[in-house]
Amino acid sequence: MDAFFASVEQRDNPSLKGKPVAVGGSSERGVVAAASYEARKYGVRSAMSSKIAAQKCPNLIFVKPRFESYRAVSYQIREIFAEYTPLIEPLSLDEAYLDVTNNLKEMASATQIAIEIKEKIKKQTQLTASAGVSYNKFLAKIASDFNKPDGLYIIKPNQGPLFVETLEIDRFHGIGKVTAQKMHKMGIFTGKDLREYDESFLIKQFGKIGRYYYQIARGIDTRAVNPERIRKSVGSENTFMQNLEARAEIQLGLEPLIEDVWRYCIKHEIFGRTVSLKVKYSDFQIVTRSRTTLSPIFDLPLFERISYELLDQIMPPCKGIRLLGISLSNLTNEQDMEGKQLTLEF
Amino acid sequence: MKFVVSSSVLLKQLSTVNGVITNNPIVPILENFLFQLEHSQLTVTASDLQTVMITTLEVESQDTGAIAVPARLLLDTLRGLPDQPITFKVDTETFGTEIITENGRYKLSGENPIDFPKVPQVSKSLSVEIGADILGSAIANTIFAVSSDDLRPAMTGVYVQLNSQYTNFVATDGHRLIRYRRSDIQSEQESSMIIPRKALNLLKSSLPSDDTVVTADFSSSNAFFSFNNIKMICRLIDERFPDYENAIPQNNPNVLTINRQELLGSLKRISIYSNKTTHQIRLKLGHNDLVISAEDLDYSNEANEKLMCDYEGEPMEIGFNAKFLIEMLNNLSSNMISIEMSAPNRAGLIIPAETKENENILMLVMPVMLNSYA
Repeated sequence: MDAFFASVEQRDNPSLKGKPVAVGGSSERGVVAAASYEARKYGVRSAMSSKIAAQKCPNLIFVKPRFESYRAVSYQIREIFAEYTPLIEPLSLDEAYLDVTNNLKEMASATQIAIEIKEKIKKQTQLTASAGVSYNKFLAKIASDFNKPDGLYIIKPNQGPLFVETLEIDRFHGIGKVTAQKMHKMGIFTGKDLREYDESFLIKQFGKIGRYYYQIARGIDTRAVNPERIRKSVGSENTFMQNLEARAEIQLGLEPLIEDVWRYCIKHEIFGRTVSLKVKYSDFQIVTRSRTTLSPIFDLPLFERISYELLDQIMPPCKGIRLLGISLSNLTNEQDMEGKQLTLEF
Repeated sequence: MKFVVSSSVLLKQLSTVNGVITNNPIVPILENFLFQLEHSQLTVTASDLQTVMITTLEVESQDTGAIAVPARLLLDTLRGLPDQPITFKVDTETFGTEIITENGRYKLSGENPIDFPKVPQVSKSLSVEIGADILGSAIANTIFAVSSDDLRPAMTGVYVQLNSQYTNFVATDGHRLIRYRRSDIQSEQESSMIIPRKALNLLKSSLPSDDTVVTADFSSSNAFFSFNNIKMICRLIDERFPDYENAIPQNNPNVLTINRQELLGSLKRISIYSNKTTHQIRLKLGHNDLVISAEDLDYSNEANEKLMCDYEGEPMEIGFNAKFLIEMLNNLSSNMISIEMSAPNRAGLIIPAETKENENILMLVMPVMLNSYA
């Protein structure tokens, strides 16, 4: 979906149409969750602090997020996808991979399916979507980003390797900011540069993911569309109105986040073994601390205790704390645990 | 150097300290007993560098001197001899040792006693006196739960916490935990240490079962025990014991009170039908009755028994490793015990209803996860 949250807001409130809109907190310490295309022209981007966004675009209109509405739209579009294939792998509320090789409508052309889906979305939600069509997930994702908004881009099998060749590695899905910087230092700027390196070298440099880099540089991606992509972590974070400095207020800030995460775990009967604490300081430096237990964490007091122990590791803070986050990963659900001897957690 | 000693007296003393000696010691000299003769007093030392045991016995002799004698060879010889006075003749130049008995002569080649590692000297920072029976019971009550996982060395010994009111002996293998508390062992000076399992096992088997006073001295790196004619020195485990107090659950509203022998008997029968690797049994707790069941899906074996009990709390089902429960219940002597629980994935506390004077036992065991749809 194009500028998803912002587009939903513009749809539901016509006075916002054609205006620069940012969904997110307007306070000095808020963060932009999504920006309308009008706002993007001024350089407003998602994840940007609201303060900077307001500087870049003085007329920017801030709107509080309404996740219920976004979820409703998300549900609508998934219903449309489901008419075509059961193989849907959602990436977020507004983005998904669809495997239409054997589709329910027995349509031969994936492009035709993309066109139909785009039309149905526009008709049912009055919102625009962009689609990418290709022979694997990596290329489809890149294609979908290529012609926004309301775009459709097709990368045919014979075009794949050539397409990747000219693509800047910064735009590769799966290569983040840090990896991109590292690659730049190595003189890798495009897919063509990346293709110069052999597989074992890339694995040595980047670890396991090096194999994936080797393949995508050649337009190869064998990952299947996985409709049961399982959640890997449960987390909650918050940016505070004012920087936190005292231990007591930091702990107070962490408490509701722990409860948030715990509520989710209980509701969905999933339990994690790794607790990670994320701290963003006033200068935007981020540190994380984590601990992995032997058995999944089944009770809140233990989760709290480990969280506060992690907090102790960064106490006293070297500078004010702007953001705190807590998450649980290494998840298992209760059924997987059957017959397992539990361990005391010290 | 020459001395005469009763074969059975010597065998008894050597057997006491022999447990220290390992099969493949780091230095070969440790396959030997160190004999140190001071006229009629013979001191025997066995060591594995971590643990040293020393015993003294009366012999007939005017000589002084020392020799390292191969332990295995000597013990095997003594075990095969009828009780009689035997004579040791040691050539202190060649370290050749000759044993003369009524049956004949036996020659062993000893080793230079100088090579035997030095024994750490008692340097105490803390000293307590404990009755042998009390120390023995503290060891017996905890040692079975000590971990054998060398990856977590802190848990391969018993944690001893001394203070002015009581002393805790704590052992855990990560799945269960025993805290054995004695209010008749106290120390004005607060201190804690981890004593390795091997030393405690050796102590347990050599401690008399009466109230003989055992003097325990502790330095920062060693523990020294002495009683009767025996001394033992062991290196303490230099690790931080887990913060176990935090692992003891505080609110356990579901309390099962039951006759220990009845529960134990039932567990032993039911566990025969449990899975051979997990030993998982299921306790189903309802209003004043308990159903214990187990199944081994691999062999389609299953069993269940219903027991009378007193149960207060919400109906619940909880799984445990039967071996753990049996071992723990076997170590208690109380007629009635209670098991306090909160949830099927949280530790259960086993507490004896009747306690002996000055004794407080708390046992904690982690459950095995059950399939909740069974």
